[in-house]
Amino acid sequence: MRRALQSMRDGIGFDTMLVILALSYLFVFAGLPLIYNVVISFQTVDVFSLGTLLHPSAGAENYENIFDDRQAGTVLWNTIIFTLGSVAIQFTLGFALALFFHQNFTGATWIRGLFLAAWVMPGLVVGVLWNWLLSGDFGVINHVLESLGIIDQPVFWRSNPDTSLYSVMIANIWYGTPFNMILLAVGLSAIPEDLYEAAELDGANAFQRFWTITLPMMRATIGAVLALGVIFTLQQFDLFAAITQGGPAGSSTVAQYWSWELSFREFDFGRGAVISVLMIVVVLFVSLFYVRSTKAETQL
Amino acid sequence: MSPALTNRLMLLAALLLAAVYLFPLYWMYVTSLKTQSSIFAVPPEFLPGVPQWENYATIWEVANIPRFMWNSLVIAVGVTLITGLFGSGCAYVLARYRNGWIDAALFAVLMLQVLPPSLMVTPIFVGFSWAGLLDYPRFATVLAISAKTMPFFVILCRAAFMTVPRELEEAALVDGNSRAGAFFMIVLPLARNGLLISALLVFMQGFGEYVYSASIIADNRLQPASIGMTNYLQPNQVNWNAIMAFAATYVTPILAAFVLLQRQIVNGLTAGALK
Amino acid sequence: MKHPLSLSALAVVLGTGGALAQDVTLTLWTESATAPEGVFAQEFSEMDNGITIDVREIRFDDLVTDTLRAVATNTNPDLIAIDNPDHAAFASRGAFLDITDRVAASDVIDIEAVFPGPRASLTWDGQVYGIPRASNTIALYYNRDMFEAAGLDPDSPPTTWDELLDAARTLTDPDNDVYGIAFSARASEEGTFQFLPWAQMAGGGFENINADGVSDALALWKTFLDEGLASPDTLTRGQWDSTGTFNGGNAAMAISGPWELGRMATDANFNWGVTLLPVKEEGGPRASALGDFNIAVFANSENPDAAFQFLEYYWSQLDRVWPEFTRLPSVAGVELAPTGDDRIDAAAAVFTEQLGYAVNRGPHPDWPRISKEIQDAFQAVLTGQADAQEALDDAADGIDSIIN
Repeated sequence: MRRALQSMRDGIGFDTMLVILALSYLFVFAGLPLIYNVVISFQTVDVFSLGTLLHPSAGAENYENIFDDRQAGTVLWNTIIFTLGSVAIQFTLGFALALFFHQNFTGATWIRGLFLAAWVMPGLVVGVLWNWLLSGDFGVINHVLESLGIIDQPVFWRSNPDTSLYSVMIANIWYGTPFNMILLAVGLSAIPEDLYEAAELDGANAFQRFWTITLPMMRATIGAVLALGVIFTLQQFDLFAAITQGGPAGSSTVAQYWSWELSFREFDFGRGAVISVLMIVVVLFVSLFYVRSTKAETQL
Repeated sequence: MSPALTNRLMLLAALLLAAVYLFPLYWMYVTSLKTQSSIFAVPPEFLPGVPQWENYATIWEVANIPRFMWNSLVIAVGVTLITGLFGSGCAYVLARYRNGWIDAALFAVLMLQVLPPSLMVTPIFVGFSWAGLLDYPRFATVLAISAKTMPFFVILCRAAFMTVPRELEEAALVDGNSRAGAFFMIVLPLARNGLLISALLVFMQGFGEYVYSASIIADNRLQPASIGMTNYLQPNQVNWNAIMAFAATYVTPILAAFVLLQRQIVNGLTAGALK
Repeated sequence: MKHPLSLSALAVVLGTGGALAQDVTLTLWTESATAPEGVFAQEFSEMDNGITIDVREIRFDDLVTDTLRAVATNTNPDLIAIDNPDHAAFASRGAFLDITDRVAASDVIDIEAVFPGPRASLTWDGQVYGIPRASNTIALYYNRDMFEAAGLDPDSPPTTWDELLDAARTLTDPDNDVYGIAFSARASEEGTFQFLPWAQMAGGGFENINADGVSDALALWKTFLDEGLASPDTLTRGQWDSTGTFNGGNAAMAISGPWELGRMATDANFNWGVTLLPVKEEGGPRASALGDFNIAVFANSENPDAAFQFLEYYWSQLDRVWPEFTRLPSVAGVELAPTGDDRIDAAAAVFTEQLGYAVNRGPHPDWPRISKEIQDAFQAVLTGQADAQEALDDAADGIDSIIN
């Protein structure tokens, strides 16, 4: 009780201000643009009237159009597969790498640092490189697989409607793994060594230690990494533009790419905004998941 | 197995993993030294036949690389400062308390990072033109990018602050430190590693940012390297070698700095907060 | 007829500087500062006419988007070089300056001399909204050495679709990683650019994409892919990368434009030639695509006189666009100066003839949406997801609702 009072007296106002500052900043530079998107999703927007907020109302017409579109089902399914697949694999690989580099062997930290190189690479360059690597004819991946005898015929990753989405996913996993790894590594390093030592004395094996110490202690980090992973994956755009352009025949189109296509290739900003709004709804659930996950955090 | 042998094997495995993982990076360097058509050679050429160093000469002659790099640096530093300034305090408070308001704030922070920049840029551009911010294009770009990096930074730093035991801070308060004193003397140093890594990731994002810079900065002289690079992407002719040479030129210094500073940055990770 | 390079014309261009207020700064947006308009703008700025042009390079993919935003917020430049199918969107909404009267009064610019295709692309409602930068089109490149090795006559390349298909079958050699033909069927404007000529040779066009015969064009493309005569990656690869495989000796023929010539001359270590696009049947109609940009002045420019003066300067330099930039002038009566490379000069003659058959995309303010319908149709058919006629009928319905 005394502690609580002390922390209240000594700066609740200050604390509130810190949060309000950041939130106002975000409201102005991210919230207002979001609201703009929601507003124009109910309007008929001509390309040259983008500069104003007042356009003829379209009621729910844009929404009906989107739901009736024959592409809608594919796009929804693709978005789910792409997002869940990317996040699950990135997270698993990232966690495995983080655990591996957590073992204190010579050069561990140094080599782990190298993995972050992917973060420096501009999205466009990553997209182009993977476009080449995944190419059916001159692609390195096919060449290696053929040399190893894993495949006899080149696989046309990008151009086969059955694999096109996965070709972008492969590139996205490559791009996102270091992010998962480094954050999970930070989380791992924050777990006090003596917890492990105590468990070892109690006779817990490596798996039990992972299950009873590592995972619970890392809840905060894991929640953050997963939530951010979903959001980053939903924002992935460069790789689609560089590798498949959503094709062939729309087989690798995901929500964010479709929204961009509608807005900037077909100049239908109203319908483009509808998809943004639907994505906002998805992220709403992700955010709820994240906030819930923080309830279980262990405060040291 | 002896510890020394395990050590060697682990190192070997780590090197192998890194080699596989960094292959695309290697491909960027090799391609920057190839001729235009050997990019498409079957089977792929793992080494350039005759290294085309002219590709580098070309971009140095045509593009003002130092100017592009300087602009990238200005933008990245600006983004890191704004994000760090607004974000750290917020993350700290969000880590310290546990109530409905905090949940709502966390929720809001995440929600505001929904849409990809390619969809956010139109409203931002329109808003900036109303506010007259387009006259200060680099500053405007920094403001826009920071809104994208801040939620990310806040979430990560919050996780870092969570690892600082509250008892230590409270003990400092009992010892007569002020709230701010406890924050700067105890909390910040203990959460240092998480903050540094997050700030570094933010810096890197700012350095390579494309969408906002491309739309907001109209003056070539103020554009960052990520834009300079794309000038080789023309509708029917794409000088891929020049693009790769350009990318290599601007990625290499960061990589070098990274490798040099990595003792400070990455070692910090394993130094752990509680040792 | 006024010759673009008459001395009096040059005098007008160079001499009018004094009549303008001093020190005007114009802005020009373009995809590349090394394209003719970028280079000429630089020269124009260095002349003693009190006008400076700031050139901003914008990646081609962003050019229309950024310009739309700029027009919506009144932050657009004075001048722009824009892809010809995108021109109508801006002209029809009054974003570009109507230069009909200025052109009529100009001693330099002779808009009547512009070929009909490019001229239609810069005209809206009978008014003139710009000048052409240059024009390009596509034709058939072929590897003469491979023709000889396969027992085909390199001096009589295929002239009909059947001959083309036969040649592609003969030339395809999977053991040596050689495809018969390379082209682009990507879901982008490039794909439309490559497909429309085939539809037009079969009697269709964007306004009747489901005409009888267009499904034959699609069938030809589908045969190329189904029989492995062209790489499956044709579906996701642009023209530049596809022709790259031709230069590397992994495709025996390629369909692309004159922009390839420079790279091909240095990179391809074999004998190559260029011929007209094969027609559907002996004596059938020819067609080709019309590419390249127009240069326009924005209606809200504060210095329209200075901006128009730059258009006049550009026009006066038209005879340089071929020898210096390997682009074809869009104006009759401009001679193509020899480049010193016989293969390129021979190609110039072919492309010039092919350009005579080039058909516009549009002009229509909603061209990108029309184009999307066409892309959806050929991609659905080529991936085996739809029957050709059905897909084309769908596209025709979609296009009808856009046009009418």
